[in-house]
Amino acid sequence: MSCNAALTSYPESRERLLQLLPRDEDAAARERLAELVETACSNRPPTSSLSRLWILGSLQAKVACAYLAWWLKSRWADEDEKERTKNETHLKAALELLGTMGYLRGAVMKVGQMLTLPEMVPEQYVRLLSSLSFEAPPMHYAMVREVFFDEFGREPEEMFASFEKKAFAAASLGQVHRARLHTGEQVAVKIQYPGIARTIQADLKNLRLLLQPMRMGDDWPNLLDKLAEVESVLLAETDYLKEAELAQAVRSHFEPGDGIVVPRVYTECSSLRVLTTEYLQGVHIDEFLASDPSQELRDRFTHLMTMATIRLLYRTHCIMADPNPGNYIFMPDGRLGVIDFGCARMYTDEEWRMQCEAEAAAFRQDEKEMERIIVEASLYESAQEMGAERVELVGRVISWQLEPWLSEGLFDFGDRDFFLRGMEAMRQATKKGYLRGMPLHIWTTRFVLGARAVVYRLKGRCHFKEIYRQESAPEVRSPSLSANTGGSGSPSPRPLGEGQG
Amino acid sequence: MRITEQAKQQCRARILEKASELFCARGFDQTTTRDIALAAGVAAGTMFNYFPSKETMAMTMVSDALAEGEEEFQGRTGGELAEDLFGFIASGLRRLRPLRPFLGPVLERSLSPFPRKNVCPVGEAARQRHLGFMQQILARHGFSSAPDYVATTIYWSLYLGVLAFWTSDLSPNQEASQALVDYSVRTFVHIISGSAGADGGEHVL
Repeated sequence: MSCNAALTSYPESRERLLQLLPRDEDAAARERLAELVETACSNRPPTSSLSRLWILGSLQAKVACAYLAWWLKSRWADEDEKERTKNETHLKAALELLGTMGYLRGAVMKVGQMLTLPEMVPEQYVRLLSSLSFEAPPMHYAMVREVFFDEFGREPEEMFASFEKKAFAAASLGQVHRARLHTGEQVAVKIQYPGIARTIQADLKNLRLLLQPMRMGDDWPNLLDKLAEVESVLLAETDYLKEAELAQAVRSHFEPGDGIVVPRVYTECSSLRVLTTEYLQGVHIDEFLASDPSQELRDRFTHLMTMATIRLLYRTHCIMADPNPGNYIFMPDGRLGVIDFGCARMYTDEEWRMQCEAEAAAFRQDEKEMERIIVEASLYESAQEMGAERVELVGRVISWQLEPWLSEGLFDFGDRDFFLRGMEAMRQATKKGYLRGMPLHIWTTRFVLGARAVVYRLKGRCHFKEIYRQESAPEVRSPSLSANTGGSGSPSPRPLGEGQG
Repeated sequence: MRITEQAKQQCRARILEKASELFCARGFDQTTTRDIALAAGVAAGTMFNYFPSKETMAMTMVSDALAEGEEEFQGRTGGELAEDLFGFIASGLRRLRPLRPFLGPVLERSLSPFPRKNVCPVGEAARQRHLGFMQQILARHGFSSAPDYVATTIYWSLYLGVLAFWTSDLSPNQEASQALVDYSVRTFVHIISGSAGADGGEHVL
């Protein structure tokens, strides 16, 4: 969940949008793209309040537009002029449609983020990641009440001892209100905007249409697979009962001594569209960093994030696919709160097998086997078919992702060179259009990037490999609760965070 | 022997109850006044003393439901304009919900904005009351000086659109209609206020 940037004025918004366009591309292309954005934006007269509200209503929408534009643009890098013009026309239509979707823009934005995350990671965008979460239309209290009537047959004020009528945060697909149970506990109540699932379906349909000009490319079927994957994960996210179940399962893997808190779910106040959980006191990363925390504290949180992630990955074969920094709560007592389990992706057995194989190959430094896995994960039959350049570049991305696994001792996630090296490899792969791969990797890539952006900002360090050993050891892999690492209390910095293969 | 006022009320209520059951079970057009009289145990002639037509019966139910919704809404005012209008419409729809299975043809006939030969007086009264209520809400938010007929016509068009969509909305709990009401109300507020001001209900955050 992230707080919404205040409405910016129309020209200001457009300027920001333009600023977000890539700078280091050739000047002519940038200019042309800027012109397109300009035209698309100025099609609606700025005097119309309606268009201002629905078209340029939020900074996020424009950021997403810019990313989508960038991503689309990367697809034509080597096209001839004629093709370029055709695609530009199309992009213009895409931008216009995105803008006019009004209500629907939210889901498109989210899809845009998912598809474009690998492309938008130069250092200057890291901060923006935090403000880029899906934003459902706001609900006033009258609407919240209607949702409650439908879900529980009662008003929020009847269900809770107290209920704040104004939301305190936007959440994926809805918003979050603070409330207090009759038994006294303070809770966070997440409420979904009515009918959002249909919106997602309709938007993905639109997006497929928008992307039609790319259908001649080799990777078109793969893109469709990815969109289908995105759709299924997003739709699963609309089921709060499923999220409640997962949150409770995740919670069972942590004990008080771990220093990691997964909020308790109050099932009696939860339903398909409403999720009530324990409210965690604490701050988000921006506020945490603003307090100028000590290196020790930064390392501690880096350790906890790593531990939480790796434990979940190895015990449940699940990754939290929404790397929103807002999902981490820095609690005043030094514990880490992990919230929002809506956007989760479970590995299939086959995917998990590949994950283990990649890990094993990396540890053995078995280059031959690594290459085979890269080829398989990129959905090619052979390295020859894939092409040496692609194998090398994709391999470089994967090696970067696995780097912490191969480093003994304290791993510094705040190391600028390390971070930029990974970003650069991904940027190049994207520029070349080397995006074909298993749909799972949309999430793993998103996750690794999101999580690394967080620990990079934290300038945090941890004993990654040690954490990995503890949390992935066979005796720990079973869901048994007894296999506690017991490491959390230790003041020394430890392992850190992400997973992916 | 003269029947008492109480007996009259009971008879009227019984007719409405049976008519509602039949409309829901068979549909409005497939139900005859004869069926209703039979089910309610009254002579056809007696029934016509209460309700001159099937349409009047159906619109009486609509009117009663909307009145209940209005009353319920009275206790919940106090939000921004968009919120109040949303609450007003949503309370009415919630009360109309039990009648939803047969409302499509009834509302089409009785609330149509196009010129008609026969205007159902009950339907017309319900329309006037609804619009009057809406204008009161506008007035409370300082819109009394706006040219009423423009605002009223725009509102009524949107409202009829919502009703039409809602009667055939297949989504669970008609949640798609809720989103449509939200969108329509915001649109309306922006049209009449001419700005994206606070009344438009920008995001709460």
